[in-house]
Amino acid sequence: MKRSQQTVFSKTVYRGFISIALLVTLWETGRRLNVPMLGTIPAPSEVLGLLAKMILKAEFWENWISSFRRVFFGFMAAQIVGIPLGLAMAANRVTHDVTFPMLEIMRPIPPLAWVPTAIIFWPTTELSIAFVIFLGAFFTVVINVLDGAKSVDVRYVRAALSLGSRPRDIFFRIVLPATLPSIFTGMAVGMGITWEVVVAAEMIAGKAGLGYLTWSSYVGGDYPQIVVGMISIGVAGYLCSSLIRFAGKWAAPWQRLF
Amino acid sequence: MTNVGPPAAVNGRISIRNVSKVYDPDGVNVLAVDNCSLEIAAGEFCVVVGPSGCGKTTLLNAIAGFHGITSGIIELDGEELCSAGLTTEPGSERMVVFQNGALFPWYTVLENITYGPEVQGRASAREARRAASVLLGELGLSGIAHRYPGEISSGMRRRVEIARALINDPKVLLLDEPFRAMDALTKGVVQEFLLQAYDRVRKTVFFITHDLEEALFLGTTVVIMTTRPCRVKKAIKVDFPRPRSYRVRSSQRYLELKEEVFEAVHEEATKAFEAGERELA
Repeated sequence: MKRSQQTVFSKTVYRGFISIALLVTLWETGRRLNVPMLGTIPAPSEVLGLLAKMILKAEFWENWISSFRRVFFGFMAAQIVGIPLGLAMAANRVTHDVTFPMLEIMRPIPPLAWVPTAIIFWPTTELSIAFVIFLGAFFTVVINVLDGAKSVDVRYVRAALSLGSRPRDIFFRIVLPATLPSIFTGMAVGMGITWEVVVAAEMIAGKAGLGYLTWSSYVGGDYPQIVVGMISIGVAGYLCSSLIRFAGKWAAPWQRLF
Repeated sequence: MTNVGPPAAVNGRISIRNVSKVYDPDGVNVLAVDNCSLEIAAGEFCVVVGPSGCGKTTLLNAIAGFHGITSGIIELDGEELCSAGLTTEPGSERMVVFQNGALFPWYTVLENITYGPEVQGRASAREARRAASVLLGELGLSGIAHRYPGEISSGMRRRVEIARALINDPKVLLLDEPFRAMDALTKGVVQEFLLQAYDRVRKTVFFITHDLEEALFLGTTVVIMTTRPCRVKKAIKVDFPRPRSYRVRSSQRYLELKEEVFEAVHEEATKAFEAGERELA
């Protein structure tokens, strides 16, 4: 079984490279042949050339660090508030009924729409930015944890009761581990969304950051740099989500079996 | 009876007297169990058979403490367990083994087995681990102690689940069609495992099944239930000596008993089937 998994894995990696190469090739040839619409987009060769120059500069990496810091704090806040809230909603009917409609009204509001309120409400720019990022992850986390905790199989709870569990054993030894995979799914999806909203968040007069880089390049008319910013956000998001998936496998080793 | 093996059990006498249970889904009263009475002696291996949905599981769940009953009384060793106004919380003196298995997937085999002693505070983590290792060794399961339930076969999972129940030294073992959906070969092996465990530590066993061969092979008594509402139709003593081997199944006496059980069950199954047809029409 192990060998077939490795084969599949290497095939997947191989196909992944082909996929990216194909995208770059199509983009470059389209640009060279002056395909309509593509004409305005900088070619990959331009972008890569610029990227090669930029990665040598400290400013470029400062953008990465700024965004990572904001994403980290916004995301962590979303976990710290979201996970206990989701668990409490699953465990307690009243908590659920009081909070659920509130969350469902706020959930469809796009993070971009929160930007003005965030600027007015929070005393510093950094807090406003972190708040918008927080919102991106928060709802996904709550919904995933809630669903996960509610769908714990009654057999496990009954078996645990038969075995003499107290209520706190039911929570810590049954509900929590049973919900752990959903918690990590919520985290991975939520992490993706935090990077999706990073541009919107950093439009709030940020001084650095990958979203800021992308937006200020547009305002300044530096088109290849827009694409560098976009690619950086994509790579950063991919790295963070991979890290969480990896942590999830480590924290829930039994899950690898299914 | 020529029982060879452990000393007779002193605890675990179950007395079910005039028990009824009415479910009320959507305001339509459904009588699941109707005035059912059954005495199970301490250490008896009682197998309950009956048509699907006849209310056997309702009875088991009431003994386990998962839900109450509408009238009547259930006693364990003369102490009231369940009556109209009383439901005793589930506890480790009445261990349940479920139809689809309920080993905790997030714990290893060893951790599953030590779970009971640890949460009950009967043993420290170290003592529990030692006792569990000894038990696993006795039952021939040492090799899988550190595997997750998802890594072992369904037959192994059932054995582990029985071990998890036994380490709590329960008075009663409640099994709800534990070997359902198992292939015949695995089933045979796991049945022998349960019998060996039963011969080692004599507990009262309340075992629900649809499989009549299984009932005769395992049980001291085979209780046949009527179609819903559930009542005792017939109780048949199965007097094969213990320890039993699979060879019992080819004896003349086995065939006689099988016919007796088959006849009684067939009658009820036909009734259930016809009742079903009427409901549909």
